[in-house]
Amino acid sequence: MRAMGEQKEVLKVEKVTKKYASKEVVKEASLAVNEGEIKVLIGPSGGGKSTLLQCINFLVTPDKGRIWLEGKEVLHSQKKNLYEYRQKVGMIFQDFNLFDHLTALGNVEIALLKVRKMTKKDARDRAVAELERVGLRDHIRKYPAQLSGGQKQRVSIARALAMDPKVMLLDEPTSALDPELITEVHAVIKALGAEGMTMVMATHQIGFASHLADEMLFMEDGIIVETGAPAKLLLQAEYARTREFCAKLTGRYGETR
Amino acid sequence: MLEYLTAIGDALPYLLQGSLVTIALVVGAMALGLVIGILLAVGLVYGPPYIRALFSMYVWFFRGVPLLVLLFLFYFGLFTLVGINISAFTAAVIVLGLISSAYQSQIFRGGILSLPEGQLKAARALGMSDGKAICSIVLPQALRLSIPGWSNEYSIVLKDSAIAYALGVAEVMARAHFVASRTYQHLPLYFTAGVIFLILTYMGTKALRVLEERLRIPGYMR
Repeated sequence: MRAMGEQKEVLKVEKVTKKYASKEVVKEASLAVNEGEIKVLIGPSGGGKSTLLQCINFLVTPDKGRIWLEGKEVLHSQKKNLYEYRQKVGMIFQDFNLFDHLTALGNVEIALLKVRKMTKKDARDRAVAELERVGLRDHIRKYPAQLSGGQKQRVSIARALAMDPKVMLLDEPTSALDPELITEVHAVIKALGAEGMTMVMATHQIGFASHLADEMLFMEDGIIVETGAPAKLLLQAEYARTREFCAKLTGRYGETR
Repeated sequence: MLEYLTAIGDALPYLLQGSLVTIALVVGAMALGLVIGILLAVGLVYGPPYIRALFSMYVWFFRGVPLLVLLFLFYFGLFTLVGINISAFTAAVIVLGLISSAYQSQIFRGGILSLPEGQLKAARALGMSDGKAICSIVLPQALRLSIPGWSNEYSIVLKDSAIAYALGVAEVMARAHFVASRTYQHLPLYFTAGVIFLILTYMGTKALRVLEERLRIPGYMR
């Protein structure tokens, strides 16, 4: 645990609920993330992790719940407020979602030009710097179809970082990657954590996550069942279901750091 | 045979001038259809229910009524009624363009729907408004995918443009008809008109093929 008093709360999510048809995919999920903190969502597939993350930046509109960024409530029905909020929240998707018609450089530049209204030169300089930061200096002219999965995910991280996000949401960033490509993406995420980036990440990579996370949240059937430091959650979880899940995951997926 | 060749030779400059009119008709109609077609497609995919219903009716109307009926309806009926005094050429461009927009909207709609959902999500996640996301992310990709279908539409509009002769527009068909009915050389003249259309089809589809190749996103399999 870090010292409490001086911590600045970056993101607060209160009782977010999302229903599809009659099924509640996310039920009254709440969480708060302080500056520099890394929270990791674990739990079985279909448990609501991805929907919760997408509710946080309103890519999926929650049915109920409130969200604050740096103490200010997000009024998502006001478009301007919503667009400004999303600029400050970086989103990393499982399947990258790079813009297929743009080069790596174009992918990072486009929001700087169209949303931030930066000049061409400033946008280019910033985009090159971000791509350099994720180790892709030599690939900036390549199109997504010419990049490996790991490189694509690193471009998407650079694209998010270029917007100077206050918090990053990572939705199973390595689930679509071959095992040998996972490492390069993990290295980038680890470096971000070391630089103090505030993050909320859903993942099945328990080994990696347990070294990175300040806190882990076990989510099943749309409910955040249990929350705690990685060591506690993985080894001495309160609920039998959490223990069972963690035991299986650590056994099945092994270590990828 | 020599008689035919002479007939063709005599009429050729006159017919070729007509091919410029045909080209102008097609370029005008395709351009009008492009602009309206894109708006229709975006409205049909992303618009609220009442916009979708309205645009669907538009598409239904212009795909459902025969070209000749629409030409007469607009030129002799509607434009006269409203008191707009426009040339037969302009009327033909407008009607061909409106009809083409209905067909083009479906080509573009197919292009938009074939994009992965994540493209729009990623754009929104960066703080783009839907308008910006559609203009800078969705359409550049959807329109690329639409070129083969658009090339099809071009060849159809090109052939449909011959019906403008019914309004007295001096395009290829009208000129062939005019000369043939004076000289009674029907076979060589309509044959030549047909060849001119074939050549225009070839040139247009070839040009679009080159465009498609130029705009191809590197890294994708053919």
